[in-house]
Amino acid sequence: MDQPDDLICVGAIAGAFGVQGELRLKSFTADPEAIADYAPLLTEDGSRSFDVTVSRPISNGLAVRLTGVSTKEQADALKGVKLYVPRDRLPSLPDDEFYHADLIGLEVLDTGGTLLGRVKSVLNHGAGDLLELHGPGLKSSVLLPFTRDVVPTVDLDAGRIIVDPPEGLI
Amino acid sequence: MSRSVWKGPFVDAYVLKKAEASRESGRSEVIKIWSRRSTILPQFVGLTFGVYNGHKHIPVNVSEDMIGQKFGEYSPTRTYYGHAADKKAKRK
Repeated sequence: MDQPDDLICVGAIAGAFGVQGELRLKSFTADPEAIADYAPLLTEDGSRSFDVTVSRPISNGLAVRLTGVSTKEQADALKGVKLYVPRDRLPSLPDDEFYHADLIGLEVLDTGGTLLGRVKSVLNHGAGDLLELHGPGLKSSVLLPFTRDVVPTVDLDAGRIIVDPPEGLI
Repeated sequence: MSRSVWKGPFVDAYVLKKAEASRESGRSEVIKIWSRRSTILPQFVGLTFGVYNGHKHIPVNVSEDMIGQKFGEYSPTRTYYGHAADKKAKRK
């Protein structure tokens, strides 16, 4: 069985939808309906897995049917359950594209080899992706543009990235 | 009502000064500004501004498609993290 570290949360069940065994599913994927492409989805402990059929988009999520859930009572029992996929089920990406899940948690070093902190999150406010760093030496979190100039090296195997921040950022 | 065309786009004077100084120096630096209301002009393309959001300066790399927008549009004042799931980041 996969370790929880290898699992990525892609959705959560918000409860039953209607009385015929449909569920309201909150999808966290970039394209909400693409969650069905990653099926079967696992529970956090990996004890149950579900195939997903998306019926239609509804307010606050998607109306879906899961395999093995055919009544409202079964659907109600799953309220709050988060759904995961193993990391290796995500398709591989071209150079210079990375999954947020891979970047989060990486060690951040400057060009001199000094540890600055770790990646806390990846944000995008419309002007390119930003890495949010958090570390003991930093007063508050720092945002770095995710560009080749500022982040010349991303080494996922070694679990670290090397940054060359412009003046005035750190 | 929208702004009259004859006035031209509004930009705080200090933003223009700082941008010009940075462009002349040619150094890689973040230009810290507090003026969220200033319009992004064509001469800002390629520069990186740190736009204040009331808490900290958010780096904004100006590209061509941002011309005419306001700086504040790229520096949200509220934080929302959400889930990483299958979201991707592209290094430019």
